[in-house]
Amino acid sequence: MTLRIRFAFSLFLLCQFISAQNDTITKLKEVVVSDANLKKYSNSQSVLKLNDSIINKNEALLTDLLNFNSTIYFKEYGRGMLSTVSFRGTTASQTAVIWNGININSQMNGSTDFNTISGTDYNSVSVKAGGGSLIYGSGAIGGTVHLNNDLAFYNRFENSLKLDYGSFNTIGINYKANISNEKWSTQIGFSKNSSTNDYKYLNQYTWRGEQRWNQNGEYDVITVSANLGYKLDAKNTLRLYTQTSNTDRNTSLIVESETKSKYVNGFNRNLLEYDGDFGRLKANFKTAYIFENYQYFANKDLNNYSYGKTESLTTKADLGYSLFKSTQINAILDYNRTKGFGSGFGNNTREISSASFLVKQDFNEDWKNEFGIRKEFTANYQSPVLFSFGSSCQLSEFYQLKLNLSRNFRIPTFNDLYWEEGGNRNLKPESSYQAEIGNVFTFRNITLTQTFYYFKIKDMLQWVPGNNGIWSPQNTNKVASYGAETLLSWKKQFGKNIFAANATYAHTISENVVTKKQLFFVPFNKVTAAVSYSRNRISANYQFLYNGFVYTQEDNDPKKIVPAYNVSNIAINYDFKLLSSCKVGFQVLNVWNKFYQSLEYRPMPGRNYNMYLNLKF
Amino acid sequence: MKLTKMFLLALSVSLFVSCSNDDDNSNDPKGVYDNGVFILNEGNFTSGGSVSFISDDLNTFEQSVYSAVNGNDIIGTYVQNIFFDGDNAYIIAGGSNVINVVNRYTFKLVAKIDSGLKNPRYGVVKNGKAYVTNANTYAPYDKPADDAAVITGNTDDYVAVINLATNTFESKIDLNGTANRIVEENGKLYITEPYNSNKLIIVNIATKTVETPVTIGSSADSVEEEDGVLYILRSPYGNRSEIVKVKLSDKSVSKVTFPEALDGAGYLDIEDDKIYYTVGSSVYTINTNATTASLTPIINSPVANLYGFAVEDNRIYLADSGDYKTNSKAYIYNLTGTLQKELTVGIGPNGFYFND
Repeated sequence: MTLRIRFAFSLFLLCQFISAQNDTITKLKEVVVSDANLKKYSNSQSVLKLNDSIINKNEALLTDLLNFNSTIYFKEYGRGMLSTVSFRGTTASQTAVIWNGININSQMNGSTDFNTISGTDYNSVSVKAGGGSLIYGSGAIGGTVHLNNDLAFYNRFENSLKLDYGSFNTIGINYKANISNEKWSTQIGFSKNSSTNDYKYLNQYTWRGEQRWNQNGEYDVITVSANLGYKLDAKNTLRLYTQTSNTDRNTSLIVESETKSKYVNGFNRNLLEYDGDFGRLKANFKTAYIFENYQYFANKDLNNYSYGKTESLTTKADLGYSLFKSTQINAILDYNRTKGFGSGFGNNTREISSASFLVKQDFNEDWKNEFGIRKEFTANYQSPVLFSFGSSCQLSEFYQLKLNLSRNFRIPTFNDLYWEEGGNRNLKPESSYQAEIGNVFTFRNITLTQTFYYFKIKDMLQWVPGNNGIWSPQNTNKVASYGAETLLSWKKQFGKNIFAANATYAHTISENVVTKKQLFFVPFNKVTAAVSYSRNRISANYQFLYNGFVYTQEDNDPKKIVPAYNVSNIAINYDFKLLSSCKVGFQVLNVWNKFYQSLEYRPMPGRNYNMYLNLKF
Repeated sequence: MKLTKMFLLALSVSLFVSCSNDDDNSNDPKGVYDNGVFILNEGNFTSGGSVSFISDDLNTFEQSVYSAVNGNDIIGTYVQNIFFDGDNAYIIAGGSNVINVVNRYTFKLVAKIDSGLKNPRYGVVKNGKAYVTNANTYAPYDKPADDAAVITGNTDDYVAVINLATNTFESKIDLNGTANRIVEENGKLYITEPYNSNKLIIVNIATKTVETPVTIGSSADSVEEEDGVLYILRSPYGNRSEIVKVKLSDKSVSKVTFPEALDGAGYLDIEDDKIYYTVGSSVYTINTNATTASLTPIINSPVANLYGFAVEDNRIYLADSGDYKTNSKAYIYNLTGTLQKELTVGIGPNGFYFND
């Protein structure tokens, strides 16, 4: 009941914003997407796709892109610092990040730091709300974030180069080349985003009366990628995706006199994929090798560090068969072997196999169903049987109904299992049942997606201090989350004037089943909105973000909160039409110069500027 | 990273108690916070610490004194200890390398000592100077004993000498060992450290030199001085707990070894010729001249993880660490074990300080 009222209210709110984001969606020739199942098995859930034109309008690091364009809530330890998410009221390790179809959440802590990823390295970033463990495995409880590189097979030689320079010596060099013909496709990318990040804290002074500023906040994120596709013949395709990245960051201080520390982390990802298309039978084989590591220097001036690294090998066989025109089945076998070693958890190996079976049935264009079941096998823990059932139905020209039920899980990490001391080898995975109903309204240029969800998570992992002062993880809590998400997009052309608007609103209740308290660092409300206008060579856009307050303590002490805030950005760019495109742009971030922070004592910058040159040739 | 810090904290969990008295005999309140007890709350990785206050008559309680008086100012992370001198209280924030100097009666910030400190732990005052132990770097626990970083971590601790007239760091005394709790008696500093030391380090204040240490055994934490004798509680893992008595005049050592049932003893305090010590969430007492331990608790508290302990003016104070995500509890008992007051304080309460 209250949800409904809130929904009506949110609609009202949203209608105040005008916006536009889905710029040019070029109709391409043949493009091979890296993660076919994302499209195939997500009809019954909501997927928000952010293509490269939106990616280019945001600051490079993924936190910024998703914070301003999706319902996901971010907790940032200062600009560019550690950034973790809460999606639908879940914890940081209950959102899975998927790179070209492979789950890349850290094997060590289960989560992804969104400030170590540059959005420009991908052709698109998609946000899929809701459970996805059936296909994507551990951590896909709140939702999944998909980083996709698409390979195109037609004749082209395209380069894009974006150069940024902004306040606090923020420098971005983002380059991508696409070279392809009908047989070969190559994509090479390079990105480097860095900043001295020494911004002033608005209205914050030390006890001596000196202006406070972000000390020890330097970051430098470098990623190199190379993706290659080769068509052996009409039926057989080979693809190779590789990516190497290094993030070198100091860690911003809470108090000026603190010891300055530093955190360096990196990854190397390789994925070899084979696609065979033999009419009714389709085969896909994947082998991925993923390496991640970190070094933490408690004192950056000393050469002492703690470290951890994991090497993970995944092989996957996915056989699809069309039983009838309307019915397809997929059988997937998956094997993963991860070796981890580090100063905290010694030297351990874990093996997990899984088998899944998926069915997709399209009764007709308007009514589509999907069903799947998955079971994992491992010596490390008892794994639940996962399933997903979904249906989508186009009930009228402007209304589509979606239903989805699923069971999802999150497995214990290397830290949870093996940390010395305290690691607990008898942990169960966190598991959740989830139900959602989506309503998609399409009238003319407006698309409105409304999703209501409810889920329960049991066996939530929590580190608790023991009697001897040693912390240890336990399967303690039960959490119930429910809420509503609204996505709105609108686009309209009046002569040469193109207007577009996008907005999202999330209302989230996520509470401990026993104490009835809202999980800390989960806001009840979050709103994003973007409006854009373009005419001929000029385009401009305005972005808005509202984050409701969050509790910072589990007991919901009303005095211990991070207050609500809103931030707006404005940008304008002009295309000189040199080469195939030459845009020069200027952005004002936090245009109203408001003090805000997503975590206590971690202020974000006031008004700051960025200018960029975006060349395509 | 969060975990790393958390474990660093967990490792260095040094718990705390100390009762600093001072010699102010007047009972007229000099400010809101005169005649009461400060409870120090360590805080967690993100939130910074806090200070709670309960008046001696147990009628007035304030959960967060420092921020109430000093607004936005950040007290710092991992607040560890308070010591007093004159009208001031000195609050050590170990994670922030800072000592907040506040007026002990109004809690208004006077100054901050923010240089010369590296992981400061505990402090004492003698003749207008503060002597503060600094843990400096920690030995990495995954490296062999001969690793350079381990050697440095285990030898670089020092005592910072602070001039309290100017609130500035003056000099340091290298200890060539590890340091945590500190007691001052007759111009000498006595220092224990539970994780990497089996010695009682002795520093001569006048000459600023380290004297020959006394071997007391490993895992020595709480240390109290009474009538020329140091009482040190040690509880080595998997071994019997002991009270080690060091007679300061001749450095002779005697021991009260506990039975196995009292393994893992936590804290010790001395009040009116009685030793009070804790095991788990229970409190026991014996006379200072006793030669055997008592197995009969005077208090069985509901504390899950005892993190702060003190005995003062016929009351026993216990603090529960809690889970570092919610405000935790402190309990006040009388000497016969009757609960007088239960308080909801801040995150990770670790000590009681008596402002009389």
